[in-house]
Amino acid sequence: MTVALDYEPVLLTHPGRTTPVTLEEYQAEGGYVGWRKALQKMAPDQVVEEVKASGLRGRGGAGFPTGNKWGFIPKAPGAKYVAVNADESEPGTFKDRELIEIEPHRVLEGIALCCYAISAETAFVYIRGEYVEAADRLEAAITDAEAASILGRACLGTQVNVRILVFRGAGAYICGEETALLESLEGRRPMPRSRPPFPAVEGLYRRPTVINNVETLANVPGIIDRGSGWYNSIGTPPRNTGPKIFCLSGRVNRPGNYELPLGAVTVRELIDDYGLGVIDGKAVKGVLTAGVSAPILTREKLDTKLDYDAVQAAGSMLGSASLIVLDEDTCIVRAAALMEEFFRHESCGKCTPCREGTSWLHKVLQRIEEGRGVPGDLDLLLSLSGEISGKVLCALGDFATSPVTATVKQYRDEYVAHIEGGRCPHPAW
Amino acid sequence: MALSDPTRAAICKLVEQYPERRTALLPALKLAQADVGYLPPEAIGEAADLVGVPHSAAFELASFYTMLHEEPVPPTMVVVCAQLPCALRGAESLLRDLYAGLEREIAAGSVEVERTSECFGACHRAPMARVNERYCENLTGAAREQLVRELKQS
Repeated sequence: MTVALDYEPVLLTHPGRTTPVTLEEYQAEGGYVGWRKALQKMAPDQVVEEVKASGLRGRGGAGFPTGNKWGFIPKAPGAKYVAVNADESEPGTFKDRELIEIEPHRVLEGIALCCYAISAETAFVYIRGEYVEAADRLEAAITDAEAASILGRACLGTQVNVRILVFRGAGAYICGEETALLESLEGRRPMPRSRPPFPAVEGLYRRPTVINNVETLANVPGIIDRGSGWYNSIGTPPRNTGPKIFCLSGRVNRPGNYELPLGAVTVRELIDDYGLGVIDGKAVKGVLTAGVSAPILTREKLDTKLDYDAVQAAGSMLGSASLIVLDEDTCIVRAAALMEEFFRHESCGKCTPCREGTSWLHKVLQRIEEGRGVPGDLDLLLSLSGEISGKVLCALGDFATSPVTATVKQYRDEYVAHIEGGRCPHPAW
Repeated sequence: MALSDPTRAAICKLVEQYPERRTALLPALKLAQADVGYLPPEAIGEAADLVGVPHSAAFELASFYTMLHEEPVPPTMVVVCAQLPCALRGAESLLRDLYAGLEREIAAGSVEVERTSECFGACHRAPMARVNERYCENLTGAAREQLVRELKQS
């Protein structure tokens, strides 16, 4: 193993555990010390400044600097809200689930600190409806923290109130898109809003709102407790500081969540040292790094460091750091068709190019996979993708074109073999 | 009335909990579904009335979310994730085994097995299935046989 052997996790501090860390355990391990420090010694602005200095970037996928996002919230009096994005639905992503199920208080402390920083009294945790166990555990943790006067009314004997409400979704990937999430919270069909106005100005109930991912907020207690200097000592400053949870899945021997400093390991090292290599010792065909929503990295790119900038330089995105490993036997056309089936299913239908385009992309990919592809299909796929990308309200449409354009460009031979041979040359799944 | 008194009371309590009433609409529909088993038009309308929104607003949600059902569902719903991470770890063979092992139950309408391209966030424990609300993970070998046996008895 490499550098990471010396790394002590700070987010998932109980590897292998299946039961939630209790309030007592969390406090015994230094939990809620950051919250106490903020309430007793720091003004809200100082919390924002500390998070800015930490360099923390959003862990949901976009990588936007968290402190800056908080800094956009107007100072004028009136209701403000925090919306926590726990709608984790990107294929290959299962980190927020583990954070909530095992470390619920770390997540709650981060939410409380965000509320304090922007002077919000109410936070909604929007959790996907299928995560019943996680939602139950989070609600139990809130009850415990309120009973101990850590959260709720008059937190820790101060005049600060923090009310955290768990809101359960009902099955819709689009709710992970921040404005669709707000629509869902408001009891409307979750269809993305056009921007501006941005949520920092007009968000939930048309009030200023911060929307952060679960993992992002789980980073905040450590930053406030130990300081931004400590945080900058983890990872690859200045643009890739702190730890990241890498979700490793697909054709590896040991899939799972691996927390490591940003930029500490390469894709290859993650697969070999943590995932214990590819099943049956096969070679890697390609790796998706941001679930199914960004271009696939070919095997030539396996020595790419896992941080935001390095993965971008390699032609993809780190996104939520959900690495899906495809081995040499995986049919790339079948994989692309499956990914497109997802987007076809999850397109909310508001924008015509996405609603119609994802359906057609899937149909064409499916016919190629079934041996019914015709010459010209590859050009058709690329032109269809061009009709979606950049012509829709939210990122889903752009995401939906990645599995197609990247695989057609990088594995063109496989597509051609399907079309010319009139069949898929790979064994059935 | 389609909804029971406890459900109506629970919805009224929900409405009070949120800064704006309409936020309670989705949770209200979920409560209604838990009560009736699915969402017939009367249940949707009643939930809308209790929240204080037009019926159309409630129908918009009921027809959108995959976890809301406007038609009756069998007592046991088995939903297998067949999205890429699960497909790479045996989701299709799990589906074949479930269809074959539960042929009689499926024909009788007591069990429904569904393939979905939606991801459930259990890719590291693939293949998996949601059995009603429960996650059944690492469904290979003995665990898979055990699940089929359990579903035959249910």
